[in-house]
Amino acid sequence: MEHARHVFRVIFVLLLALVAFVLGRTWLVPKSYGLYGPYRFDNVAEQAAIRAPLHAGAASCAGCHEEKAKKLAAGVHQHVSCEVCHGPAGRHAKEGKVVAKAAIDRSFTNCARCHRKILGRPEKFPQVVLEQHVQQMGPSALEGKVCLECHDPHSPKL
Amino acid sequence: MDDTRSTRREFIQGAIKLGGGALVFLSGTSLAAEEHPAERYDWEAHRYAYLIDTTKCIGCGSCVRACAAENGVPDGFYRTWVERYVLSAEGSHVDSPNGGRDGFPPIEPGFHPTKSFFVPKMCNHCKETPCIQVCPVGASYRTKDGVVMVDGDRCIGCGYCVQACPFGSRFLNPATHTADKCTWCYHRVTKGLMPACVTVCPTGTRQFGDMLREDDPVRKAIEHERVAVMQPHLLTEPQCFYIGLDKEVR
Repeated sequence: MEHARHVFRVIFVLLLALVAFVLGRTWLVPKSYGLYGPYRFDNVAEQAAIRAPLHAGAASCAGCHEEKAKKLAAGVHQHVSCEVCHGPAGRHAKEGKVVAKAAIDRSFTNCARCHRKILGRPEKFPQVVLEQHVQQMGPSALEGKVCLECHDPHSPKL
Repeated sequence: MDDTRSTRREFIQGAIKLGGGALVFLSGTSLAAEEHPAERYDWEAHRYAYLIDTTKCIGCGSCVRACAAENGVPDGFYRTWVERYVLSAEGSHVDSPNGGRDGFPPIEPGFHPTKSFFVPKMCNHCKETPCIQVCPVGASYRTKDGVVMVDGDRCIGCGYCVQACPFGSRFLNPATHTADKCTWCYHRVTKGLMPACVTVCPTGTRQFGDMLREDDPVRKAIEHERVAVMQPHLLTEPQCFYIGLDKEVR
């Protein structure tokens, strides 16, 4: 009987350790951890709702700017999303209301990002070497001008 | 003596019940959320893939600007970027000023280039990814729809994953001090939108698709055309597929 008491003590301590482990684990391991693998599953939903989408795509711009969208769709810039030049739609309008003016960048730099002739671009892509363009058009035609004075960005004709 | 024995028995019974109860409690918590909490979105109905046609890229950097705006990427860090390769037998030149965000300047490489092209890069969302394997706290994971993401609440910012990624797709965000990377705009794709970079790409270089949708153009391209992946010898099974990938691109 005396020896049995020792066994019970050991079992008691082991049980206590087990309970401490289980409770500690419950407390330390975050909720939803390990549901689908060694990660916190709740983060998937958190990532999906991390922020509201900022870019809306050209189709949503057409909701208000129908005329511009029609013009764009008929020209060679039809695949250029409005947001490429004007910035994300989410900064311009929220829930159908204008919150800030959309960016209008009429600079040479903006056009040059796509159309300045540089190494790396596919050869068939329309590119301009400014010096040659000046020679073609005559220097007086181009001096102090930006591309947009002759070319309409929504329907650029060459 | 009888008294003590009965109390001991009671105690042991109680302890077993408590332990069992704790186990039930544990299993109860892990059974709590079986469905994807994002509304009307079934993550098992999608498996995303990305297609980059390098022959179409003009290096305008619209994708890099859109990504930074959409995801609030800090200046000097890039979730996606564009590299320019200027090559010939005599030499090579690779540049990516500001990740290609503001486009590329004209250059004189100092040799006669025989070919030059742009290569947009980003996280490859590998199936067998080293970045998840090295994470010591279970902060990096791959979703069932095929997106590799970082749990900012779990991440301790040790940077192991940043070093483990063979594509340089991760960085430590200086604001949050946690690992940051492309999520294929998970907040957009779970709502049926395209990632921001794909939305703005003017040339159709960047395409995003779903391998579980039979009529998906990206799936068709990957299944029927000749596509390559970055560093295939590493066997990470990238899910970004490239058309026109040159041997010099790493």
